[in-house]
Amino acid sequence: MLKAKQMSRLLIAGSRDQMAPVIAELYRHNLFHIEEYVDAGAEGYEGFKIGTPLSGASEKSADLIKIRAIANTIAIRADDVDVGPSCSRDELQIKIERELPLLEREVEELTVRRSRFEARVKELDQKIIEITPFSDIPVDMNLYHGYKRFTTIAGYVSREVNLNIPHEMHFSKGKDKNFLVVVFPTEQKSEVDKALAEAGFQPVPVPDESGSARGRIEFYSGETAALNKEIQEINKQLENVKQKHAAFLVACEELLKAEVDQTEAPLRFATTKQTFVAEGWVPSDKVAVITNSLVYMTDGKIFVTVVPTDLEHDPVPVEYNNPDFAKPTQVLMDVYSRPKYTELDPTLMISIVFPIFFGLILGDVGYGLILLVMAYGLRRFLKGEEGRMLLDVLRNASISSIFFGIVFSEFLGFAIPGWNPILYSRHLMSEHGGHGPNIPELLVVSVWIGIIHLTLGRILGIINHAQQDHGHHRTQAIMSNFGWIAVMWGILIAIWSTVMMPLMPDLIGLPVVMAVLGVGFNLNVGHFVGAALLLMGIIFIARESVLEVIELPSIVSHVLSYSRLVAVGLSSVAIAMVVNFLSITMFIEPQLENLSVVGVIIILFGIVVFVIGHALNTALGILGGGLHSIRLHYVEFFTKFYKGGGKKYVPFGMKRRFTEE
Amino acid sequence: MAAEVVAALDVGMTVEQIKASQIGMKALGAGIAVGLTGIGAGVAEMAIGSAAVGATAENKDMFGLALLFTVIPETIVIFGLVVALLLLFV
Repeated sequence: MLKAKQMSRLLIAGSRDQMAPVIAELYRHNLFHIEEYVDAGAEGYEGFKIGTPLSGASEKSADLIKIRAIANTIAIRADDVDVGPSCSRDELQIKIERELPLLEREVEELTVRRSRFEARVKELDQKIIEITPFSDIPVDMNLYHGYKRFTTIAGYVSREVNLNIPHEMHFSKGKDKNFLVVVFPTEQKSEVDKALAEAGFQPVPVPDESGSARGRIEFYSGETAALNKEIQEINKQLENVKQKHAAFLVACEELLKAEVDQTEAPLRFATTKQTFVAEGWVPSDKVAVITNSLVYMTDGKIFVTVVPTDLEHDPVPVEYNNPDFAKPTQVLMDVYSRPKYTELDPTLMISIVFPIFFGLILGDVGYGLILLVMAYGLRRFLKGEEGRMLLDVLRNASISSIFFGIVFSEFLGFAIPGWNPILYSRHLMSEHGGHGPNIPELLVVSVWIGIIHLTLGRILGIINHAQQDHGHHRTQAIMSNFGWIAVMWGILIAIWSTVMMPLMPDLIGLPVVMAVLGVGFNLNVGHFVGAALLLMGIIFIARESVLEVIELPSIVSHVLSYSRLVAVGLSSVAIAMVVNFLSITMFIEPQLENLSVVGVIIILFGIVVFVIGHALNTALGILGGGLHSIRLHYVEFFTKFYKGGGKKYVPFGMKRRFTEE
Repeated sequence: MAAEVVAALDVGMTVEQIKASQIGMKALGAGIAVGLTGIGAGVAEMAIGSAAVGATAENKDMFGLALLFTVIPETIVIFGLVVALLLLFV
């Protein structure tokens, strides 16, 4: 908790003939994060080279590529396939040898035919486009070409054209532009060109067809329709292939990927002619398990040892170590950046605070229930691990939303009948039952949340610096973080001594130390304590970095930024209220009093407004509640202590879903 | 009360009229606060938004971070909203 999982650096050395069993065993455990060997002549690695793949690597890679190509063509993704009964390795191996070539040929034939048809459809569509302008001219298209002394041109003109030479012209008036076809003696082309250019002529090619234009268009359209039908038929067949072989394909992919991973693993090891050395990271509590099983599998023919870790220079991979309920929140951490190995992992705090913020913003039983249903309903469509984690986050948030909905007594913008808000009301209008909104109190509460959250952030900053830094710099960094806390609380104490605010301590009554003459304003003990804290804080901050001092105003803006918890929440309450007012008070209620046919239509319209309005507000609620809550973490909270940039722990191995070991 | 009546006589309005116009002024102020800060946030988000779309187009993993960058200037309009709420309800 609050710390990444502890890792140990493991070094495995043995003779080359032990490499295959060692790799298989490491892959089975799915715990060993391989530290890739780079041929850079590191100390102690003189004479070592990067290893070569085990036998059979290229055939298996080729098979894997085939399967991926098929899966790509028929659009199968492992995440979309439900886990069925898993197949054993031998079964699959036989199937791969027998069925894969057949399946490959089948899919390839279908796709080749489909692309041929698609190309033909495009060609025909182009022809139809070319012929269409000629459809209004009652001339056989055969007559447009085949002359020696005459030229045919066609195109669009802006107005009618008069030619002073012998010619035959067909002119059809259109809406925006007019179409014309002219046949004239070739030797007089220049005159025709001139006359046409004056009329803004845009030429179109004369199609090489015979028969009436309309007849040709009908003929080609018929052909495209037939081809499209064929394409649909092929798509249906591909869909059948997908239904039939989906389980087989994903299982094959998994099996082959596992085998390819294993055969290619030596590429990440250091080897000599006779030996190999693999280095990597294992969670410290699993070192014994792995060591014992490796030694057992190789009859003690290898050497396994834990190498001491140098926290400052070793790139230790980071694996989260959180209780189950906080695990989904890791996805929000990865969006920002994974914590460094030596850093505090704030996942647990986010998993608690994020839903609270979300609930404060979208505190509404109705919306909470809608989101809860969504969080469970979308599970059918989102099968990947990350999607699931996001849905879990949404579920936690919606439960908190329901809780705060009860606290605020809100259901889709209405007050819950017979239930008054606990503590503070967000109802903007008092006629819907209950009293008006307690805006000042709510704002002060949100500011308090900000003060506490930011102070916590700075305290975490102190802890981080105490753990990560050394010597003089460590002291300065700790003092600087303390300085920020002092400045914030100094300002607060000075404010409390000057003005009275709801829900804030009142320090105006403290003993007066000095009266400022002429203004009627007394400086009391609070002012002096505040000023002392402020000054001390600024000195501490400046000692670490003078430039930081210009960031001081951010204290005020960051604390006030938390007022969004109330502001965004109130805006969603306001939208819900407007939707309810529009649909119910304006459309539905007046019609219900004396029903008529028109009235029923208006009522239906009112219901549509109600549904669309609340759907929109739900979407805005997810965006507003989710983004603003996480933003308060990322921007206001994390900047106080969190750096991130840790390396992800990617153990060698896989979680098998469709195959057995 | 007397002072209010005198003030009312000065501008040729009744006390009720003055009170009503004060409410109107508050509403106007609230509207201006939200409206102008909204424009400010919009202008700020314009550049970030286009850059964020570009970044996401190049690398889909950027989406979460890009969305976050885009909403950062929203603080401006939230301050406006807070001011408006304070004007209207306090």
